Amino acid sequence: MMLRIRAHLRYGGDFELKVDHEWPLEGVTGLFGRSGCGKTTLLRLIAGLERIRGAAVSFGDQQWQQGSKFVPLHRRRIGLVFQEHSLLPHLSVEDNLLYGYRRTPALLRRLHPPEVSAMLGIEDLFGRRIDQLSGGQRQRVSLGRALLISPQLLLLDEPMAALDTQTRREIMPFLGHMAAESGVPIIMVSHSPDEIERLADRIVFLQDGLIQRIETLHESLARPDSPLFDDAGAVSVLEGFLGEAGEDGVRPFGPSEARLWVPEAEQASGSRPTRILIRARDVSLSLVDPHHISIQNHLPVTIERIDPPTDSRCVVACRTADGQLVLAEVTSRAVSQLGLEAGKSLYMLIKSVALLE
Amino acid sequence: MPLFAKPGRLLLPLTLMLLTTALHAGDPVRIAAASDLRYALDDIVNLYREVHPDTAIEVIYGSSGKMTTQIINGAPYDIFFSADIAFPQQLKEKGLTTTEPAVYAIGRIVIWSNTLNAAKLTLEDLTSDAITRVAIAQPAHAPYGLRAKEAMQAAGVWDAVQSKLVFGENIAHAAQMAESGAAQVGIIALSLARFPELARHDHYLIDNALHNPLTQGYVVTRRGGNMPEALAFAGFMATDKVHDIMIRYGFVMPE
Amino acid sequence: MYTFGPAEWQAIDVTLRLCLYTTIILLLLATPLAWWLAKGRSRGRDVVQAIVSLPLVLPPTVLGFYLLVAMGPRGILGKTLEDLGFHHLAFSFEGILIASILYSMPFAVQPLTEAFSHLGRRPVEVASSLGAGAIDRFGTVIFPLTRSGFVVAATLTFAHTMGEFGVILMLGGSIPGETRVLSVLIYDHAEAMNYEAAHSLSLMLLIFAFVTLLVVYSFTRRFQVVRL
Repeated sequence: MMLRIRAHLRYGGDFELKVDHEWPLEGVTGLFGRSGCGKTTLLRLIAGLERIRGAAVSFGDQQWQQGSKFVPLHRRRIGLVFQEHSLLPHLSVEDNLLYGYRRTPALLRRLHPPEVSAMLGIEDLFGRRIDQLSGGQRQRVSLGRALLISPQLLLLDEPMAALDTQTRREIMPFLGHMAAESGVPIIMVSHSPDEIERLADRIVFLQDGLIQRIETLHESLARPDSPLFDDAGAVSVLEGFLGEAGEDGVRPFGPSEARLWVPEAEQASGSRPTRILIRARDVSLSLVDPHHISIQNHLPVTIERIDPPTDSRCVVACRTADGQLVLAEVTSRAVSQLGLEAGKSLYMLIKSVALLE
Repeated sequence: MPLFAKPGRLLLPLTLMLLTTALHAGDPVRIAAASDLRYALDDIVNLYREVHPDTAIEVIYGSSGKMTTQIINGAPYDIFFSADIAFPQQLKEKGLTTTEPAVYAIGRIVIWSNTLNAAKLTLEDLTSDAITRVAIAQPAHAPYGLRAKEAMQAAGVWDAVQSKLVFGENIAHAAQMAESGAAQVGIIALSLARFPELARHDHYLIDNALHNPLTQGYVVTRRGGNMPEALAFAGFMATDKVHDIMIRYGFVMPE
Repeated sequence: MYTFGPAEWQAIDVTLRLCLYTTIILLLLATPLAWWLAKGRSRGRDVVQAIVSLPLVLPPTVLGFYLLVAMGPRGILGKTLEDLGFHHLAFSFEGILIASILYSMPFAVQPLTEAFSHLGRRPVEVASSLGAGAIDRFGTVIFPLTRSGFVVAATLTFAHTMGEFGVILMLGGSIPGETRVLSVLIYDHAEAMNYEAAHSLSLMLLIFAFVTLLVVYSFTRRFQVVRL
C-alpha cells in the first residue's frame, strides 16, 4: 500500500513544510526528526486533522485529499494514538475500547475485543474507571481502542514520550509485535533513535520541514552518517528468536552459528522475532577467540568495511555468520595495531549485560 | 437534560409561534390611558364589565406623550385616553385614528404632600428652604408635568424651584414619589389626590388660571376601528354613570 | 401574604414563556457560535466576540431604541414583515423574544465558549478517528464533557431574561398577556402605589435569582473538579 503526500505549508515567518513523496506502508514506518521539524504536522496532514490548502494525500487507491476533495478523519478509518493519554474521561475502559468498534460496520471488523485485549494484556481492565489505570495501562487501552476500529493505518504520535522508562519498557514489546500480529501498517512519530531502532522497519527522516531521506532500518544502520547515530553513537540491530532461559536465567538468541546469550528479559520467548540492540562502543574485536574471560559472546565475523576515523575512533562494520551487520567502535590505534582491513576474519566480543535494555 | 435531547420536537412549535405573529384573533380591547386616569378609569372599566361581562378589556397606563410614540411605532392599542387632546390630534394627522378626537374631561393639578399639610401650601411656599424635593411629571411628554411647569412659571417661582425638581415618568409616578416621602411635595393630578390612599392627606388646588387647560381627549385608533367592542366602550364614556365617576375624581366635565 | 390575581398569573405566564423560548433558541444559536469562537482561527473572532458581548456594557435603552426603530411599522424589519403580510414586531411577544435573545446572548455564549475552550481539541479528534461524525461527536463526547457549561449557560440565560426590564419596557410597552413581564408589572404596581403586590412579586424574583446563582456557582465548582 503506497502512501503519497504532496503539501506545501508556510507557518508564521520561519516554519515551512514542503513534502512531495511516496513510500510503501508495511510494518512500522518511523517518522524521525527533532522537535519542531514538522513530524506532527505531517502526521496530522495524513490523518486529516490539518487541512492544508493545495495538499494531496492518497493511500493506495483512496484519495484522501485532492483539490477540493477532502475525506474527513471519521471516514478514513485511521487509528490514532497520541503522546498523552487521550481516553474519554466520561466513559469506562470498556466503553472507550468499544467506542470505535461499535461504529465500525460489522463487515469491516477484522480485529475483535478478545484478541486485541489479549495482544495488549488488557483483559482484566474492562471494568475499571479511567482514573484507576496506570500510565502504561492507559496507553495500552488507547492502542486497543485504535486497533478495534480495524484501521487501514495506525498513526502513533510519540506514543511513549510521556511515559517513564519503566513504563516505556512495559509498552515497547506490545508495540513491537502489534504491527505484525494485527497486520495494520503503522506510522510512528518519534524523536528517539532508540524507539526507532527497536520498532521501525522503514524510516522517514524529516528535517526543517523537508523529508531528507526514506530508507529501511537496515539501510540506515548500514551507513556511517545515519542521523540515528547522532546522539548515542552507532548501533546495530539484530533480529532473531529468543530461546528458553537456562537455570542461570541466561537465554540463547539467534541461530547456533551466531549465538548470543542474553540475560533474562521480561519478554516471552516463542515464535515472535525479537530485536536486540548492540551499541558499537560495547563491542570489542579480537584476532583470536579468547578463553578465561567473563565476556560471554564470541562471534566469528568478517570485516566488511572500516569507516574513516573521527576523533581517532573508527566504526568497523562486521558481517556475522548468519549475514547480519554488527558495528564495533574502536580507536584508530587498535585498527593499526591489529592490522584490521576489509575481508579479515576475527572475533567479536560482546558483554551479555550490555544487551540488557 | 431532556429539554435538549430532541431539539426537533421543539423546532416546529417555535417556528409556528414565530410565523403566527399576524394572528391576533380574540384580542381584548386594549386601552392606552394617561396616568391621571389610573383610578377613575379602573372604576369605569369595572362598571362596564358588570354590564358587558363578555368584553375583555385591558388598560395600560403611561404618560400621554409616550403612549403616542408607542402608537406611532405600532403598539396595539384600540382606544387612547390622553391627558392632552393635542396628542390624539397628532395621531389623527398621521392617519392612525378612526374617530374624531373628543374631549372627555378637564383635569386639575394640586399640591400634595405626605409629610406637610399641603392644604396650607401655595406655589410660593415651594421656594422655602424647608422643602428640598418637589416631584412633577416629566414635562417633555407628560401633560400634567407641563401644566405644573406653566403654573410655576406663572407664579414666578420656576427658577427658584427648578433645582429641587424630581421628574416622574408620568403623573402617577410623580404621585408615587411624593407618597413614598422621597419627595416632600408633589404637583399631581387632582384625580390621583382623590384616590383613597392619597386622600388621607389634604391638597391645595392650583388656580387653573395659572396654566393652559388640561383638556383631556380620547380617540379610537385605526386598529380599534375594526373592533365593535372598542367603539362600544368609547360610546359608554358619554353616559351619565361615567360622568359621575369622573366628577367624583375631581374632573370637570366638558359642556 | 398577598395572593396573586389574574394580572400576576398572566405576567408569570408571559415571563416563563419568554424565558423558556429565549433559553431554548439561544442555546441552539449559541452552541455553534461558541464552538466557532472557541475553536476557529479566523481573525473575525474578536469582532464577533465584541458584538456578542455588547449587551454587557450597553445601556438596555440603546438596544431597545434600535430594536424599536427596526421592528416598528416604519422600520426595516417591521415594514418588510408587514409587506409580507405579517404583523410588525414592536409591542409584541415575538418582538421582546427577539430582544431577549440579543440581550441575553453573552450569557449563553460565554459559558459555552469557556467550556469548549476548556475541552481542548483532543477528545474530538479521538472521537473522529474512532469513526464518529459531527453530530455523533457532539452527542457522545462534546455534550457529556461540557454539560456543566450548558447548565450554566441555560440557567444564566433564563435568569437574565427574567431580570430584563429596560429593553422590554421600551420595545414591548406593558401589554398584559403579551409583553407585560414580571419586572414590568412590578414597576406598574409600584407606580400605582400597590406596594403589597409589588413586594410579593419582588420577593419572588429575589429568591429565584438567589437560587439561580447558587445553582450556577455549585455547578461551576463541580465543573472544575470534573475537569481534573
